[in-house]
Amino acid sequence: MTPQEIAVAVLVAGGAFFALVAAVALLRLPDIYTRTHGASKSDTLGAGLALAAVALTFGAEISTVKAALLILFMFLTNPTAAHAIARAAADQGIDPWTVDEEGESE
Amino acid sequence: MGGDLLVPVDDSVTLRKTVAHVANRGRDAPGRPTLHFVYPLSERLDAGEETTAAADAEELLARIEVWVEEDLGDDADQVAVETALIGSAEYLFNPGDYADVITEYAAERGIETVVLDPEFNPQGMAPLLPPLERELSSAGLDVDLAPVERPTRRNPLTRPAGLGQFVVLFCSTYAFYLVVGGTLSTFDLATGAVSATIVAGLLWRITTRGEVDLTSLAWRLARMTLYVPFLLWEIVKANFHIAYVVLHPRLPIDPRVVEFDAAVWSEMPATTLANSITLTPGTLTVDVSQRHFTVHSLTRSAREDLLDGGLERAVRFVFYGRSAARIATPRERGARTGEERTSAEETAPTEEAAVTEGENA
Repeated sequence: MTPQEIAVAVLVAGGAFFALVAAVALLRLPDIYTRTHGASKSDTLGAGLALAAVALTFGAEISTVKAALLILFMFLTNPTAAHAIARAAADQGIDPWTVDEEGESE
Repeated sequence: MGGDLLVPVDDSVTLRKTVAHVANRGRDAPGRPTLHFVYPLSERLDAGEETTAAADAEELLARIEVWVEEDLGDDADQVAVETALIGSAEYLFNPGDYADVITEYAAERGIETVVLDPEFNPQGMAPLLPPLERELSSAGLDVDLAPVERPTRRNPLTRPAGLGQFVVLFCSTYAFYLVVGGTLSTFDLATGAVSATIVAGLLWRITTRGEVDLTSLAWRLARMTLYVPFLLWEIVKANFHIAYVVLHPRLPIDPRVVEFDAAVWSEMPATTLANSITLTPGTLTVDVSQRHFTVHSLTRSAREDLLDGGLERAVRFVFYGRSAARIATPRERGARTGEERTSAEETAPTEEAAVTEGENA
């Protein structure tokens, strides 16, 4: 394997790992706010790493620039979407889950 | 005093006529009413770069005083004129903010009537007047709209713009088109030029704000390129932390809501900071009102990082330069987390003082 291939493999593996973390977070975390954390952020990095792998695969080509633009848009839109979800939840009056509650209810 | 009038002003097309209307109304009123012309500044003054806005405002207010004298001629001594810049300690964002500073000024001086210029719209974005009128009325003030003719009905979205805005928008649109198209063939060059012209022609008065100052824009971009790697590094570091927490068998989370006033003073920095907070795992911006941030944090260490203010400092560095990076951290300014909310509320008055000290240092 060339160094470039190794780098691509590492990036793809990292991307898959963080996508998996996002999925696990969605299953394990207790309420909408904490799940939004997991789903939006680990996912951003996961997809970002996968796109970085794409950029590296193509090398010095126009697709690389497009991949970089895609990463940029993801970094702009993902936090905005996460914020919209959290704010909608707050407007609905949903109280965040806290550790103290756990002791009482479970 | 009953006859006193308060007039919020802005450089609008109907300003001259509104001033004339107010001057006549003051002359016809009994006694010697005071006419207050106030200019609400939408940007906070000590932010450093935006001092030209204040200078323009002062000049406009001086011009208004001259106009009133001109209109009244020999009757000029029947009214008193006062002018002021208001709202310079905050940045004003929505109609409610404008109503607040105007109401406060009116309350301090016992003014009961506000006269609005029909074209008063300092934000230049969404229509400000109807909600402002409503807010002021609900604060117990009499609100009159100055009965002046509007020369033309302008599109409320447009702002005064120069060739600079057009060129900047054209170039960025064209560049984007060519990058996405991926070729420099004659066909793409031609269609790109046509598209960019259409887009820039339609939107050049809407997209950019105020004069394009190329040097400050270039500096900002340069500092932004320093910020991006910093942010990426923070994101990667924090993601590993979240991965550890999420995959840990006992799920050691301690979610809490944190509220603090960020030391940023206009829309772009506030937006950048809010998005950066959300991008950094473990913290999620729930709500932003002016500069008051409500942030949901997943773990204790994420909360500590947030209150240490590294991100906030970096955002200030990008938008205001190096000197602004040294302002005190949110923790030192008295941010409140869920567990200590009641004690923090008691000490709230000192919070503002702490901010001022930090800025002077």
